[in-house]
Amino acid sequence: MALSKDHMLNIYRDMVLIRRFEEIIEKYSKNGTIPGFIHLSIGQEAAQAGVIDVLRETDYKFPDHRGHGAIVLASRPEDRKLIMAEIFGKKTGINGGRGGSMHINDLKVRNMGFNGIQGSTVVTSLGTAFASVYNQTDDVTVVFMGDGTLGEGTCHESMNMAATWKLPLIYVLINNQYAISTPYTESHPQKQLSDWGKGYNVPSMTVDGNDIEAVIEVTQSAVDRAKRGEGPTLIELMTYRWQGHFSGDPAAYRPEGELEKWKEKCPIKLAKEKLLNHFGVHESEITEIHNWVEKEINSYLEFSLASPNPSPQDSIKYVYTDVEVEGRS
Amino acid sequence: MTRKISFSKAINEALHQEMERDEKVFIIGEDVAKMGGDFGITAGIWSKWPKRAFDTALSESAIIGLSCGAALCGLRPVAELMFADFIAVCYDQIVNNAAKLSYMYEGKASAQIVVRAVTGGGIRCAYHHSQCIEPWLMNIPGLVVLAPSTPYEAKGLLISAIRNNNPVIFLEHKGLYNKKGEVPEDLYELPLYKANIVREGSDITIVAAMSMVDFAQKAAEELSGQGIQCEIINPLTLFPLDKETIINSVAKTGRLVIIQEGPKFMGYAAEIGSMVYEEIFEYLKAPMKRITSLDTPVPFAPVMEDYVMPQYEDVLKACNQLMSF
Ligand SMILES: Cc1ncc(C[n+]2csc(CCOP(=O)(O)OP(=O)(O)O)c2C)c(N)n1
Ligand SMILES: [Mg+2]
Repeated sequence: MALSKDHMLNIYRDMVLIRRFEEIIEKYSKNGTIPGFIHLSIGQEAAQAGVIDVLRETDYKFPDHRGHGAIVLASRPEDRKLIMAEIFGKKTGINGGRGGSMHINDLKVRNMGFNGIQGSTVVTSLGTAFASVYNQTDDVTVVFMGDGTLGEGTCHESMNMAATWKLPLIYVLINNQYAISTPYTESHPQKQLSDWGKGYNVPSMTVDGNDIEAVIEVTQSAVDRAKRGEGPTLIELMTYRWQGHFSGDPAAYRPEGELEKWKEKCPIKLAKEKLLNHFGVHESEITEIHNWVEKEINSYLEFSLASPNPSPQDSIKYVYTDVEVEGRS
Repeated sequence: MTRKISFSKAINEALHQEMERDEKVFIIGEDVAKMGGDFGITAGIWSKWPKRAFDTALSESAIIGLSCGAALCGLRPVAELMFADFIAVCYDQIVNNAAKLSYMYEGKASAQIVVRAVTGGGIRCAYHHSQCIEPWLMNIPGLVVLAPSTPYEAKGLLISAIRNNNPVIFLEHKGLYNKKGEVPEDLYELPLYKANIVREGSDITIVAAMSMVDFAQKAAEELSGQGIQCEIINPLTLFPLDKETIINSVAKTGRLVIIQEGPKFMGYAAEIGSMVYEEIFEYLKAPMKRITSLDTPVPFAPVMEDYVMPQYEDVLKACNQLMSF
C-alpha cells in the first residue's frame, strides 16, 4: 500500500515520538526515579504506530505490557503528559498513579489497559468485540499479544470462540523473537506463529513488523474484514526489541551480532529512507519533526517531574463501586 | 402476591424478570441456552430471547473474560459456572480481572457481572463437584460473594446482584435447589452487605450460611426446648461481611458458634471468630466454637461424605458446652 506523503510524515513523527518517549523513561527508570520495572518497545515502533494509525477512537484497544507506544498514540495529544506522569507514579498520572507502566488505561479513547497476567486481555477482548455485535455498532477490538503469551491457554479459548461467533476481533501478535530469554522457536512447534490461527479457520498472516506501510495495510484489511462481519484475523508482526525484557535486563541470552543485524532494520530508519528517497522529503523537514518531538517530550518530562505524589489515602478508593473499604485510622 | 416456589424456580424467575426489564442483561455459559442449564436454572430464557442466551465451548476463562469485557461496554452478563469447583480453571479471570477492574478504571467502569456458581456437597458427586469454595474468593477485595439460603433470598439477592456494578459471585447451594418457600411474584431487591437475623435469641449467636442455616434452625428449635435461646445470623453477603450485625449479636449473647460447610482451616469461620475476639473479647462468656467439615477432599460414598460434613450432633454439643463453660 502506498501512503501519501503527509500520512507518511505523520506516522514518522508518531514513531519518533514513541521512541523518544521510551528513551526518556528508560533514563529515569535506570536512575531510579521511576519506581518498579518498565518494558520498553524500542525497535518495535512500526508494529504499534501502524496498528493504532488504522483505528478510530471508538475502537477498543487492549495494549500489552510492552505497549507504551500504542498507548501514547491512541491517546489525545493533551493527555500524553499524563501517561508519562502515570509511569512516574504521580498524582497527575492518567490513572492517578495507581496503575503505573503496566496498567495505563484511558476509557475515553477506549484504551482498555493491560492486565499484568499474560493472556488475560486475550479473553477480555472477546467481550468488547461481543458487545459491538450485541449493540450493533461497528467498533472493532484489537488485542496486542507477544509471541510468548501465545502459550497461555486463554489464547486457545479466545480464538476458538471469536472464530465460532465471528467476532470483530483482531489479534496483533508482536513476534519480537523472545519471551524474556526464550526464543519463540524453542517454545512453539510452528515455523511461523501465524500458522497457529489456521486450526481455528482464522485468516492469519505474517508481516514484516518493521515496515510501517505493510503494518498499516494488513491492519486495514483485518479491520475491514471485521466490519464486514467475517470475524477475527491473526496478524503476526515480525520485529525485535532492542532492550532487554525490562529496562535493566542485560539480555545476555542473545547471540552476538543479532541486535546489530536488527538495528539495520530499524523501523524509523527504514521510514526515513523512504521519506527521503521515495517521497522527495527534504532533510530539513525531518529535522523539524525531531525538533518538535524533543519539545513535546521535554514538556511531558517537566510535567511528570514537577507533579506531586498521589495521596496514600486514595489507595482505598474504587475497590467497590458502592461501599468503602476501611482505611487506616 | 406471594406463593411457594422452589429455590431453583426463584432464581429462574429472577433471571426472566431481569431479562425482561433490562435488555443489557444476557446469559452465557455451558449449556445454559438451548438446554436451560445443567440444573435447569436458565430454562425458558433462550426460547424467549434467542439472541441473549449463549451456549459456549468448555471455556470458563473465555466465559468470564468475555463477561468482563462486555460489562465494560455497559452490558450486564450473568455467567453460569456449572459447578463452583470450576472456578479453579477461570480463577485468574475472577481474581485478577473481574475483581480489579473498578480499581483499575478508578470507578469509571467495572466488571458488573454476576457469576452464578453451583456450590456445596451432599449430592454424592465427590471432590470435584462438591466443594465449598467461598474462602477462595473471600480474600479478594473487589469481589462480592453472595450466599442465599431460601427461595426468597435467592430471588431478591440475584436481582440486586444483576443491578449492582461490582463483580458478584452468586453461590447456589445445590442442596437447596428443591427447597420451597414463599416468594413474591414481583421484582424486589434485597440489600447487599446486610446480614439477616433469622431468629432472635439471648444465649448463643449461631452464624450459618446457605444449607447450614437449616441446620442451625433445627438445632435452635431443639435447644429452645432445653431453655437455651439461640440467635441465628445468616450473613447473606459473605464478603464484604456485615460485621456489625454479628458483633452486635455476640455482644448481646456473649457466645458464638459458627457452622460452616467446607474445610475448617482458613475457612470463614476462622475470620469471624478472630473478628469477634479482636473487637469484643471482653463481652465473651466462653470461647467460640466452629462446626465445620473435615480438612479433607469431599469423598464419594454416602457414609464417607456424611462423615466429613458438619455434624448436627456437634452443633448441639458445642452449644451445651458453651452454656456450661
Ligand atoms: C501468566 C503470566 N505468566 C508469566 C508472566 C511473566 N512475564 C511477563 S512478560 C513475559 C514474557 C512475555 O513474552 P511475549 O509474550 O513474547 O512478550 P514480550 O515481552 O516479548 O513483548 C513473562 C514470562 C506474566 N506476567 N503472566
Ligand atoms: Mg516476545
